[in-house]
Amino acid sequence: MSPEMFMYPFLFITLYFESFLLVTFLSKPARESRLPTSRSTDTPRVAIIVPCWNEEATVAGTVESLLALEYPKERFSIILVNDGSADGTRAVFDRFASHSQITALHKENSGKFAAMNLGIEYAKDAELIGFLDADSLVAPDALCEIVAAFEPDTMAMTASMSIHKPRTLLQRMQYAEYLLAIIFRHVFASINSLYVTPGPFSFYRRSVFTALGGFKHAHLAEDMEMAMRMQRAEMRIGNAIRARVYTKGPSTTSKLIKQRVRWTTGFLRNVLFEYRDLVGSRKNAALGMFILPLGIIAIGAGIFVFVLALVQVLQRGFDAISLAQTVPLSYTLSMGEFTWFYLPVTMITLLGAMLVLSTLIWMVAGKHLSKTPGALALNAVVYLLLYGIITPFWLVRSISDVALKTSTTWR
Amino acid sequence: MSLFVRNSLIALLTATAITGTVAYAVNYLNAARIAELGAIEDQLSIDTLSLDTQFSLLERAPCDSFASSTTLISSLADLGDRLSYAESQLGADNAQVIRLKQQYSLLEIRDYLITKQLAVACGTKPVTVLYFYSNAGDCSDCDRAGYALSYLRNTYPSLRVYSFDYNLNLGALETFIAINKIQDSLPAFVINGKQYYGFTSLEELEKQFPKGALSTSTPK
Repeated sequence: MSPEMFMYPFLFITLYFESFLLVTFLSKPARESRLPTSRSTDTPRVAIIVPCWNEEATVAGTVESLLALEYPKERFSIILVNDGSADGTRAVFDRFASHSQITALHKENSGKFAAMNLGIEYAKDAELIGFLDADSLVAPDALCEIVAAFEPDTMAMTASMSIHKPRTLLQRMQYAEYLLAIIFRHVFASINSLYVTPGPFSFYRRSVFTALGGFKHAHLAEDMEMAMRMQRAEMRIGNAIRARVYTKGPSTTSKLIKQRVRWTTGFLRNVLFEYRDLVGSRKNAALGMFILPLGIIAIGAGIFVFVLALVQVLQRGFDAISLAQTVPLSYTLSMGEFTWFYLPVTMITLLGAMLVLSTLIWMVAGKHLSKTPGALALNAVVYLLLYGIITPFWLVRSISDVALKTSTTWR
Repeated sequence: MSLFVRNSLIALLTATAITGTVAYAVNYLNAARIAELGAIEDQLSIDTLSLDTQFSLLERAPCDSFASSTTLISSLADLGDRLSYAESQLGADNAQVIRLKQQYSLLEIRDYLITKQLAVACGTKPVTVLYFYSNAGDCSDCDRAGYALSYLRNTYPSLRVYSFDYNLNLGALETFIAINKIQDSLPAFVINGKQYYGFTSLEELEKQFPKGALSTSTPK
């Protein structure tokens, strides 16, 4: 049996996933959630908590973007929590300490989740409690979009993240990747299947913490764990697709892999060890029987397809070089007559081309619907060229860390 | 029925329909390739038979037809390239590919015999290469040897290269192999009647050609 035959199951599953995404995207709940936001006159009291650990370089910009939010000043407060930073974060906090909307807290370093919980304690009068990582910025209308998207049965709300001013190739790749994530989050939210409420600008009703308690260490994936805890408690998590938040993507390969290993090990450890009951659950079938199993399959498939493709490329590359060295290079490089007969049309090339095209279309849709600024074309090309090569490294490392019980670090 | 179940079923139908459509399109294209190969073979078969019939009618060599014979070998080479590509796409064990290869081998043998007859009757000295390969996994140098011959054929259009799958189940080819005493040590070449086995490099292969045979040809 040709090794290529093993590609077919993965191609079909991906095609099935893409089809499901499209059908759900066109379904009524997703369509309605995309309708233009009607500016609500209801302005619940909001607290936004910014946990910081050695964020002197970025936290000032984060706070300034929060102060520029188009929301009644008397209705929202900002709680900065310094989680034992060893850099100049305290000095930056001091600059904002006298601001009427801002509360600055300092504590010994004990982890992001503890900093978030301390912030919750100080947000006693807030109906909605939000969080923003200290390396992120928000669009001025982001809070209005978040508040307007809350339905009576929505217990938490996520925003649309994108990469702030991508410069390096890796950041450009992440820019395109985040556009895809915007669409995934939008579609998954419409069937209440979000399993993460990301650090950048996710909001919760106060009652969530009253009912479920605060954040946990959760294998350094406290935002994922909280979302899964909410799913287990059958609480609805929504998405405000036009609530834009910009985050600074890792600029180097080692930083990116470190971040993704933290995310992936957090996902695996939480799903496999803490919330295994959610997998296969019929209570929330979309999450339990589709999204989570596919998430696990995708990790294995990412590695398998990469290895298979690498073997094929090396094998064919070696053969091609061997052939090319047989005759003068000019003959190999000369373009022979090309007719339709030689079109490399196979199941794999056709299905692969369709999946690449659908990926690009989703990126365009994500950018358009979230109104994310920036140029997509170049970033999409970088994504297509790099993503499949880099991803297996953090997938392999993550599986290895989980299997060997290696502890994951933040940075 | 819940939204999730409904969407899952629609997605399953959609994915199945797309996969089926793609499979149909690929199959359709492969069938068109086979049809094209069949059409080319039919035309070559008529051309070969025509040349052969001319021979019989005139009861002497139609020496003025040598040019058309040269065109024939060029068409045969093109057909060989296409057949090789179709084989890589459809698999060496595809029944239609095997049938087309059998027809192709017959055409090659026929053309080779006519060329020899024309050479004797008309006093020409064509350079012919019989090339025997195997794609059963027992000939590691066959790909390189075939590529080197393609290069020589393209560089020297008057060179007449005939490629044969040593393992092809065809009576005429088996007889042809027996008459030429080709051993099961591939790749094997018969260059103007002289046998040569194995392939190391283009230069080594070129040394097996009669002196001046390649240089006197008009490079492309």
